[in-house]
Amino acid sequence: MFTQFLGNYLLQKGIVTQEQLFHAMSRLSQTHIKLGTIAIHEGLMTANEVDECLYIQTREDKRFGEIAVERGYLTDQQVADLLSKQTPDYILLGQTLVEDNVITYEDLERIIFEYKGDTELYDLELDIENNEAVYSIIENFFLLAEMPVKTENVMYLELMFNSLIRFIGEDFTPLSPMVLEEYPITFGVSQSIFSNMDYITHIDCDRDTAVGFASRYAKEDFQEFNEYVIAALEDFLNLHNGLFIVNISNEQANTSIALAPPEITEEGVLIGTNKCVDFPVAYPFGTIHLIICY
Amino acid sequence: MDINNKKILICDDSVLARKQLKDAVNEVASGAVYLEGKNGIEAVELYKAEKPDLVFMDIVMPEKDGNEALSEIRAFDNDAVIIIVSSVGTQEQLKKAIQLGAKDFIQKPFEKNQIKEIIELRLGGK
Repeated sequence: MFTQFLGNYLLQKGIVTQEQLFHAMSRLSQTHIKLGTIAIHEGLMTANEVDECLYIQTREDKRFGEIAVERGYLTDQQVADLLSKQTPDYILLGQTLVEDNVITYEDLERIIFEYKGDTELYDLELDIENNEAVYSIIENFFLLAEMPVKTENVMYLELMFNSLIRFIGEDFTPLSPMVLEEYPITFGVSQSIFSNMDYITHIDCDRDTAVGFASRYAKEDFQEFNEYVIAALEDFLNLHNGLFIVNISNEQANTSIALAPPEITEEGVLIGTNKCVDFPVAYPFGTIHLIICY
Repeated sequence: MDINNKKILICDDSVLARKQLKDAVNEVASGAVYLEGKNGIEAVELYKAEKPDLVFMDIVMPEKDGNEALSEIRAFDNDAVIIIVSSVGTQEQLKKAIQLGAKDFIQKPFEKNQIKEIIELRLGGK
């Protein structure tokens, strides 16, 4: 999930545009991590050294590792270690941006360093399933949204990001959350969760985005906004909220929690007893807004 | 597989879920007759009127939920073959569905193979 968070970070810092980010994200599945990128991430080579080896590689028919060893930047053992190393997926996003000429290896080196510092994540090497790190980043989203950092809230958003990865696709970037007194609806579906505290959850987007979202969810190529598109949004929210209440009831056996059926909402405003928070998520086909009113 | 004229009741408030279930059944078997309900009330009415051979039932539905409908259908016909197809699978709800007489539980989003197994098991030998 760090790829998505790094995307958010790069957008916030103005390092990439949304277009550049989507272009890179859409190519992730066809891209392989390179030895030079891993070496930078591991702090074994500088960006300048990697650039130098890549330049030599364009003139000599040799592998990157061979050149790095010849120049004394890496040992044979280090090359073997790097090749077998599992790197976090977000590094691949960085590399893809370098290949797209959006940033340089030098920028990437600095970004990795600053990203780890800013998010206080220093040990991302084996983090593919590093729950603590994910929790900490998601906690930040709630702090940004001035929403109480309760375990259930963090669990909810973490599961939402996982549901998006699982059912819609990993090529999204969470944008910065916004706190609102009320949320004017474009089009969407709402579902209430009844627990010790009641929540209204809502997915909102324009109709074209809904068509893109539904096509991915249902694995069908919808061409127009129709009843199946609406149903896909309802099903996704219902499925996600369903998974959430299963998780809550597994972890907190005494908590009574239930779902109302999802409802289509085409106009009006959402108002919570307290506040509404908008967690926008940008996909190449459009931006969806996940709204939680509490 | 030919399941000529076997009646399958699909009860789900989502038109997409109903379509996907039908598509999945059509892929593995031909000749089924479909009945569709979008809430528990319609499920009970359709069951009583048509006595389908197999029922796919969602749990969270408006008007009357899947478990209530399940209970009423089983009271009417103790041999009813009802399969719960739901994204909501808390231990409590599952236990309740099984106690009420559900024959199986399929978690959404389902794989076509799961539907195939159900069709073969429940309608294959009939």
